[in-house]
Amino acid sequence: MSAQEHHGHHIASVKMLWSVGIGLTILTVLTVVVSSLGLPSPLDILSALAIALAKAFLVATFFMALKWEHRFNAVLLIGAVVFFLLMVGVTLLDTMYRIEVVPSF
Amino acid sequence: MANHSASHPAHVQHHFVDSDQQFDSAKLGMWVFLVNEILFFGGLFCAYIIFRAWYPELFTQAALQLDKVWGGVNTIVLIGSSLTVAMAIRSAQRNEIKGLRINLMITILLACVFLVIKYFEYEHKLHLGIAPGFFWNPAPEVTATLDHPQANIFFSIYYMMTGIHGLHVLVGIGLMIWLYIRAGKGHFSAEYYTPVEITGLYWHLVDLIWIFLFPLLYLIE
Repeated sequence: MSAQEHHGHHIASVKMLWSVGIGLTILTVLTVVVSSLGLPSPLDILSALAIALAKAFLVATFFMALKWEHRFNAVLLIGAVVFFLLMVGVTLLDTMYRIEVVPSF
Repeated sequence: MANHSASHPAHVQHHFVDSDQQFDSAKLGMWVFLVNEILFFGGLFCAYIIFRAWYPELFTQAALQLDKVWGGVNTIVLIGSSLTVAMAIRSAQRNEIKGLRINLMITILLACVFLVIKYFEYEHKLHLGIAPGFFWNPAPEVTATLDHPQANIFFSIYYMMTGIHGLHVLVGIGLMIWLYIRAGKGHFSAEYYTPVEITGLYWHLVDLIWIFLFPLLYLIE
């Protein structure tokens, strides 16, 4: 990565920003529509999460400009998500395999 | 020692080589802060996942108490504000200070719309006795459709997650008012707009968190 590549900041075009904004709006409407279809149990949560992840990808890539950024910033974001999943995974290993749920909870 | 043969604009602090290095350092610092924010909200999402795994039927019942139309409207309001904050950064990069201020003002207004809608949602719920944890005291029309011994837990999670998110929106409004005033004083230009850029990153993260909160709280049924 040469210094030349990063000389001058990337300026997003109006067309691109509006396309992303409209795309996010369409995905929001889509997730509400899909949720009212009454899909069976694992499918409803999976479709909602898939759409949310697609929206998150659009925001991070274009609005947060990770596409034109030093790669290290994207590594930080992905690292945060990995550590979040680790936290959830290890916690579930405890809570899902208890003989009895703590009564007061 | 800094290389004084290079041009050294007034906004560059003496421990940076040049404007670009200062800009990248500020942005890296902001990204490290955002990692911290993701893991901070991550703890709350973790609580959500555990309780949902324990009481799946509670979450599907309780979500019916949330109005998905207003939740959806607020999602679109936040997406709009993310768009205007991105436009504000673009204006700053192009040295269009008037455009920067207009876009910041629209963003502030959209953030206020979000909080007003949130206020009416809270108000409506609290009126029905849908309060978190210990304060859970539901009206008969609530218990008719939501009859679960752990119903208060869902709303503890709901109020904690949306409340802390709302607090972030409030902080964002404060930051953008500060940017608006500074832009008016002529502090920003195409050469120096770092505070606009990193406040924009913060604002997009607030939007990102809501993108997950909305389906997980409102749309599960």
